[in-house]
Amino acid sequence: MRGFVVQRVPSVSGRVRNAAYAVSALVAVFVAGLLLAALGLHPLALGGSVLKQSLGSRFGVQDLLLLASPLVMCGLSVSLMLRVGLWNIGADGQFYVGAACAAGVALFGPHGSPLLVQITMGLAAMAGGALWIAVPALARLLLGTSEIIATLLLNFVARLGLDWLVTGPWRDPHGMAAAQTARIPDPLPKLPRDWHLGGLHWGLAVVLGLAALLAAAFRFTRWGFELRICGANRDTAAYAGMNVRRRLFQAMLLGGAIAGLGGMLELSGTVHRLQSGLSNGYGYVGIIVAVLAASSPLGCVFTGLLMALVLNAGLVLQTQGVPSSAALALTGLILLFAAIGERLAHYRIVPTRPVAGAGGVA
Amino acid sequence: MQPGELPRTVLPEAARTAFVRMRGITKSFYGARANDGVDFTLQGGEIHALLGENGAGKSTLMNVLTGLYQPDSGEIAIEGHVRRIASPADAIEAGIGMVHQHFKLVPAFTVAENIHLGWNETPFRLDPASLAARTQALSDRFGLAVSPGARVADLSAGEQQRVEILRVLARGTRILVLDEPTAVLTPAEVRALFAALRAFRADGNAVILISHKLGEVLEIADALTVMRAGRSVATGSTAGASRSSLARLIIGDTAIPATVARNETDVPGAQAVPLALRGVSVRDHRGIALLDGVDLDVRAGEILGIAGVAGNGQRALSEVLTGCVRPDAGDVLLDGDASGPRGAREFADWGVGHIPEDRLRTALAADLPLGENAVLRDYRGDAAGSGPFLFPRRLARLARRIIDDAAVNLRDSRIPARNLSGGNQQRLVAERERRIASRVLVAAYPTRGLDVGAVAALHAGMQALRASGVGVVLISEEIEELLAQADRIAVLFAGRIAGILPVAQADAERLGLLMSGQVLPEPVS
Amino acid sequence: MSVVSGLLSNALVSGAVLALAGLGELLAERVGVLNLGVEGLMALGAMSAVAAVSGTHDPAVGVLAALATGAAAGSLFAFATVVARASQVLCGMALTMGGMGLAATLGRPFAGQPSAATFPVLPIPLLDRLPVLGDALFRQSLPVYVAFLILPLFLHWLLFRTRHGLALRAIGENPAACDAVGMKVLPLRFAYVVLGAAISAGAGAYLTLGFVPSWSDGVTAGRGWIAVALVIFAGYRPWRIVAGALLFGFVGALGYLAQARDWGIPSAFLGMLPYLVTLLFMMLPALTGRGRVAAPAALGVAYYRDQR
Repeated sequence: MRGFVVQRVPSVSGRVRNAAYAVSALVAVFVAGLLLAALGLHPLALGGSVLKQSLGSRFGVQDLLLLASPLVMCGLSVSLMLRVGLWNIGADGQFYVGAACAAGVALFGPHGSPLLVQITMGLAAMAGGALWIAVPALARLLLGTSEIIATLLLNFVARLGLDWLVTGPWRDPHGMAAAQTARIPDPLPKLPRDWHLGGLHWGLAVVLGLAALLAAAFRFTRWGFELRICGANRDTAAYAGMNVRRRLFQAMLLGGAIAGLGGMLELSGTVHRLQSGLSNGYGYVGIIVAVLAASSPLGCVFTGLLMALVLNAGLVLQTQGVPSSAALALTGLILLFAAIGERLAHYRIVPTRPVAGAGGVA
Repeated sequence: MQPGELPRTVLPEAARTAFVRMRGITKSFYGARANDGVDFTLQGGEIHALLGENGAGKSTLMNVLTGLYQPDSGEIAIEGHVRRIASPADAIEAGIGMVHQHFKLVPAFTVAENIHLGWNETPFRLDPASLAARTQALSDRFGLAVSPGARVADLSAGEQQRVEILRVLARGTRILVLDEPTAVLTPAEVRALFAALRAFRADGNAVILISHKLGEVLEIADALTVMRAGRSVATGSTAGASRSSLARLIIGDTAIPATVARNETDVPGAQAVPLALRGVSVRDHRGIALLDGVDLDVRAGEILGIAGVAGNGQRALSEVLTGCVRPDAGDVLLDGDASGPRGAREFADWGVGHIPEDRLRTALAADLPLGENAVLRDYRGDAAGSGPFLFPRRLARLARRIIDDAAVNLRDSRIPARNLSGGNQQRLVAERERRIASRVLVAAYPTRGLDVGAVAALHAGMQALRASGVGVVLISEEIEELLAQADRIAVLFAGRIAGILPVAQADAERLGLLMSGQVLPEPVS
Repeated sequence: MSVVSGLLSNALVSGAVLALAGLGELLAERVGVLNLGVEGLMALGAMSAVAAVSGTHDPAVGVLAALATGAAAGSLFAFATVVARASQVLCGMALTMGGMGLAATLGRPFAGQPSAATFPVLPIPLLDRLPVLGDALFRQSLPVYVAFLILPLFLHWLLFRTRHGLALRAIGENPAACDAVGMKVLPLRFAYVVLGAAISAGAGAYLTLGFVPSWSDGVTAGRGWIAVALVIFAGYRPWRIVAGALLFGFVGALGYLAQARDWGIPSAFLGMLPYLVTLLFMMLPALTGRGRVAAPAALGVAYYRDQR
């Protein structure tokens, strides 16, 4: 008699895991569609209009890329820390601090050549982001404090601090809005006109360049190899003679710096002023970007675009009378399904063979 | 064909009264068939040894019997009645209790709490004093001394084992399964355990004893079953069996590899001491001494055996010898110099290879591919890259070569290390470390989980290292292995060196005395 | 009401939310499951309580609605983490995002309006006449008494004084040991994760029917996360969680007082205080040299029988 049993594979390859994530995301979108249908909406039509608005026109694509950029930056930040097995739930806070530092340089710093100003802003943002994660990083490495909760708590602090800045000392003295600074004098320049991407700024190139740089660093340096071992098994890394603490600290600071740089790009390239709610939960969506990409930097570019589509769906839903917060619910659903899918990928259905020694047909 | 018509090794009369009769048990895991139509019969009033190499399927069979695993097919009859043992609760109900090789106790709980865990006779209202009193009563009744109020984490392995046995017996167990019970015991503790087992048998109960120590099996068991490659290959009485006949049954028809003999010749330059410890102490995070004032010379061109019951400081010793842990007091001398390299990286660069005792937790990043695990030492070398850069193709070629040299029989280097068999994992680690061990190799329990052929290959490799002037430290709990391989044997007891014997003066009895912390009757030179 | 009495009363009211959420999280963590979805559970509970009372005007119905919603969301989380054994961190984040998103979406009709019913004050006879303390401690609503007295008393008794509690704690320490003695590890884990989730969602109900009392997007304001941190530095003990909650309630109340009295500190900085104090307290056990708090040994680890 032939039957089937379900067996668990102790470990699966990266390819299997990626496939599981892809299927999970699709299933999550499908389930969301069913829920929308239950609410009396037409999910296919909605999906069509999301795709049409996002990908159907040059402006749509440009908006999508603009929205994806901060998501990819936060995704890269989370990815880098996931490489060493740590969670950065605080990319949102680092993003805010980075933006604030960049705004400080732009608004109150000396005026120089535009390029120099941009570089100074970028460096200030990276320093701010790194500094913002330094306390959780030190607490994790020296005291064993959970980096998950420590980084997350600082998001609230950063958000409140930014609110104070833009409603208080840095508030635009001439503007009508209550919670924003003046426009920064030298925003990030747009991409050249003849590239036919007129709405986009150089930040996009920085995002792509950084993703490529990180991918190369992971693959082509001994440092990247050590990060991977440290992330897979810290005891093994220490046994093999790696300085685990130093690598973990480097990854955390760099992760904070990348999220901070993301804040600078959003400020200088897209929004042009510091305002409350500058990050629309980008740091949290960045977690999904990194997880779905299995913490591969180049993968983050694709999953960042995917999540930008999901956030766009929220905007489209809003025109249909569904609050945009539905997109947040959808991101939660995708993350949940991805987490479950990753586990289910460890199971195989195997046909049972007849018992060898029992006189049956071999 | 009716199952009943299958040829049986057990007489029908005996089968009716058998305590346990397992028939045609098959259980497979991904990539491995652990049990393949296994038959097993246990009579009342017998101690039945279950023998076989690692991976032969003994533990799987017992996990099926105790309800932890569900078999893919096959049936189990307890005292003549076919029963479905769907969970450990069913097994306990049927009078089956198991003491696992890795104790299933809660370290943070007291002995009394562990005894009463998940037991329906535990009073609903928990009162430490009454739990302790109940535990003491059980302890007296079964003659197993335990201290009810002690935290399990603070107990020795032998004491923990007593707690487990007491817990199992308290639940009315008539069929006691013991998985490698003597591995963590001193010779005196082994004698006490065997006395308790004989008393248990005398009351009409039965014991299944999983062991690979043939001497012990012949001493205590009445019957035995031998498993090989997931099948039961022989069963019968121990009467008339000898070590060599059992060994042949365990290994099977494959040619028994010649055991590697110790190389008696002296190696040129053998008087040099590349690595030495002087008054070395290591403490754990609670301040308890793991090593206490250890002096040890590792000589070039010799194999230094470290004997001792597991848990007497072996891990700390291997870690301090390889730079993974710095001593809290004392010096680690490299070529007589205490100011040399300090960390694991520097020790490795200086030529110290390290086969740690826990390969899946320490030696390998289990979820990473085989290839990356293979180059864990070599990724910093010139063969893998240049400056800060790494060349993935060169790295892959290097990994391939190490995997091939290790005789890991897998073509795909992208398979996660966790999915490999224990033997393949150990061969990979041994080869990787052999490559960097230009001065010293520290090997902790390197033959655990290897089949006989692989053990012979590993011993040959160590003898070759010795012949090339490398100092080898072999930490083992197998006295026979140490006597066959080592030039000198040091005995660890409670974090101290209890004595160092040249192999010519060492025998099982003297080592056993030292291992239980006793002083040898005459002084040792 | 005197200043002291008002401060204490405020501390109890805002601390009750944290205490309830923390006690719920405690149950999940004691059986070995780290539930980072408390914030989402609170949001769901807060929203469903407001929705339920909008029709019935009965706070008890609101509480039941919150508990049921929490149990439902908790079942989904428990299925993912206990049955499918998916990453507890990821599923917790997903529960937070999904719960907040869903609550904001479904709660939009009620956003910004005062809740249709709130918990009535339940004075304790005689004790409420005590000077200073009487007003603060004994003129509160039922959930405050539950959060600071009844629930911790019950949980302490359950966890440390009963056979059942021994089993629960053991599952969080070493599920393999529990399995070997015949306990049903996964069903117990599942049940207590669900129960804990219901209690955490109940904290949300008190937030919108007692403390604030109205529903708005983001009304939970990170309290779920503070509750998670609270459980850690309280060393997984019910009474210490309640004490910590009171302390945080006090910090929050001090902030309101400072704002009301206009001590010249920008409100944003006062708002930061609870988060910063939480961060500090998380580091404190290690800083003071008392070592790391002993978390349940199997916390966050999925249990497989055939672990290789």
